[in-house]
Amino acid sequence: MLNSLHWWRGILITFTALWLAKFVLPLPFMNEVLVFSIYTIGCNFLLGRVGFISFGQPAYLAVGAYATAFYLFYFGTNPYIGLLIGLVAGLVFAFIVGLLFVRLRSDYFALVNLALSVIVFYMLQKVLADITKGDNGLWFLTNIDATPVFNLTKPSEFFLFCIFVGAAVWALYKYLDDTVFGACCLATKINETKLEFIGYDNFKIRLTAFVIANTTTAFAGSLYAIYLGFVSPEMTGHSRTADPVVVTILGGVGSLWGPIVGTLAYTGLRDVASKFIGNWELIVGFILVFIMMTNSVGLYGTLENWSKSLWRRVSGQKGTA
Amino acid sequence: MAPRVGSERYGMTAQLLFSGVVFGLSLASIYFLISIGLSLCFGLMRIISLDQLLYYTVGAYITYSISTLTGNLWVGVLGGIAVGALLALAVERLVFKRIYERELTFSMITSFGILLGGIGVVKALWGVVPRPVRMPLDEQMNLFGTDIPLYRLSVIVVAALVYAGIWLFLNRTIIGKAIRAGIEDMEHVEGLGINAARLFTITFVLAGALSALAGGIYAPLIMVDPHMGLEILAFVFMVVIIGGLGSIKGTLYSSLLVGQVVSLGSLIYAPLAVMAPFAMMLLILLVKPTGLFGTPLSK
Repeated sequence: MLNSLHWWRGILITFTALWLAKFVLPLPFMNEVLVFSIYTIGCNFLLGRVGFISFGQPAYLAVGAYATAFYLFYFGTNPYIGLLIGLVAGLVFAFIVGLLFVRLRSDYFALVNLALSVIVFYMLQKVLADITKGDNGLWFLTNIDATPVFNLTKPSEFFLFCIFVGAAVWALYKYLDDTVFGACCLATKINETKLEFIGYDNFKIRLTAFVIANTTTAFAGSLYAIYLGFVSPEMTGHSRTADPVVVTILGGVGSLWGPIVGTLAYTGLRDVASKFIGNWELIVGFILVFIMMTNSVGLYGTLENWSKSLWRRVSGQKGTA
Repeated sequence: MAPRVGSERYGMTAQLLFSGVVFGLSLASIYFLISIGLSLCFGLMRIISLDQLLYYTVGAYITYSISTLTGNLWVGVLGGIAVGALLALAVERLVFKRIYERELTFSMITSFGILLGGIGVVKALWGVVPRPVRMPLDEQMNLFGTDIPLYRLSVIVVAALVYAGIWLFLNRTIIGKAIRAGIEDMEHVEGLGINAARLFTITFVLAGALSALAGGIYAPLIMVDPHMGLEILAFVFMVVIIGGLGSIKGTLYSSLLVGQVVSLGSLIYAPLAVMAPFAMMLLILLVKPTGLFGTPLSK
C-alpha cells in the first residue's frame, strides 16, 4: 500500500502545488499556511474521526512552542533539538491530559478543554512569569544556530523543510485512515457500545487518537516558535481559541485535505480583511454560523462535489458521444 | 505587649477572611446567574449555549449606556435584561430552533460563532476601550467589625432573590414543572400535550435574561469591555462542570464553592484564584466524570 505511487499521488500533487505556490504568493504567507495547516490537522482528526470537539487546541500549541522556546532561550542553540523537545513535551503533556480528559463525555470534554486553554494562558502570562517573561514573551531568534542541511533561520529553507514535514504529517494521517486503528476511531465516534462489544477498548483508542492529534498540534507550536523566533502567551489568547475549529469547519470536517484548503482560505481572508476592517471576530463568527446553518460540507467538500459532478458530466458526454 | 499584637493580627485576619467570604459570595452570585442558564439549556434542550456569555456582555453594555444617560444603575440593569432577553429570543428563533435536533458539538460550534460575532458587533458599537460604570451605593456597611461595600451585599441579595424566584417558578408554576419534567424525560412531557417548542423558547429567553442580569449587576464592580464574556467563561465552565450539566441544585452548590475557592484562594496566594478551582475541577472529574450532581444521561 505504502509503496504504490497511487497511494502517494495526492500528497505529492498537493505539496508540489504548495511548493509552486511560493512563486506566486509571498513566502511569509506560505510559511504561515504550512504551519497553520499542521496545527489544524490535529483538530480536524479529533473532530472528524473521533468526534471530539476541542476549543482547547491553543493549549497544546503553546506547550510545544514554549518547550522549544525554553530550550532555545535558556539552554541550547540547535533548532532540531528544539523541535524534538517540543515534540516530546507535547507527547508527554497530551498523554497526561488525555488520561484525565478522554474518559469524559463529549460535552464535558469540550468544556474542560476550553478551560484548559484559559489556564495555560494564565500560567504562561502570570504564574510562570519568572521564566516565561509574561506578556513580553521570549525572544531567541539570534540564539538559533544555522544548521547545514536545512538552515531553519532562513525563511526560504524553513519553507522547504515545512513542505517535507507537512508531506510526512499528511502521509501519517492518510496512513492512519487506512489502518484498523483509523476504522476504530470512526467506530468510537459512531457507536462506541458496538465497538466495545466486538472487543476493542474505547478508552485506549480515544487516548491514542488524542495523543497523536495533540502531539501534532504541539509540533506545529514548535515550528511556530522556530519560525517566528519568539513566543508569547498571546498565541493561546481569547481571540485565538477558535482558530483551529474555524479552519477545520471552513475546510471541511474529517477530510484529509480540508485543513490545507481551510487554512489557505482563512489565512488569506485574514490578511486581506484586516487591511479593511480590524474587526476580525465579526467575520469569524459569521463564517462559523453561516457554515453550520447552511449545513455545508466546507470548502474542500464543496470543491470535491463540484469536481465530481463536473467529471461525471464530462465523462457522461463522452459516453453518449 | 506580644499578646495584644497577636490578637490585633488575629482581628485583622478575621476581618480579611470575612470580607473574603463576602467577596466570594458576590462572585458566586454572578457565576450562578450565568451558569444556571447554561445548565437549564443543557438539561432541557441538550445544547451547550455559549452565547449566554454574549447576553452577559450585552447586558453589561446596555447597563453602561443607560446608567450613564439616566444616572440610575437599576434602570440600566432592567434595560439590559430586556435587551438581553430580546436578543436571546431573536437568536433562538433564527438559529437554535433549527439545531435542537442536532448533536451537541453542532450547537457548541454554532453558539461559539454567535458569541464571537456578537463580540465583533459589540466592538463596532461601543469600541474596544474598557468602560467604567459608576457604583450606585458606594457606602460601606459595618458587619461584625468589618467594612463591607454595600453594593456587593446588594449583588448577593439580588442573586438570592433570583434563586428564590427560580425555585418558585420551577416548583409552583405549571411551566416550571414542565421544564423540570422535561429535563427528566422530554418525550413524555410532549406526550402530555405540552408544547415543547414554546417550552424551549421560554427557557432560552429566561437563560438569556439571567445572563444579562448578571452582566448588568456585575458591571460596576469591573470594567465593561468587549472580552468580558470570554474572561468569565472559564469560571462559568468550571461551575457548570463541577455542579454537573443540567442540575440546578448542583449549579447552586458549585457556584458557591467556586466563588469561595477563587476569593479565599487569592487571599492566600494570588495565582490560586485561577489554579485552585481548575485543580478542584480536575479532581472532581477524576472521581465523578459527570460532576457532583450530574446524571450519566447522554443523547
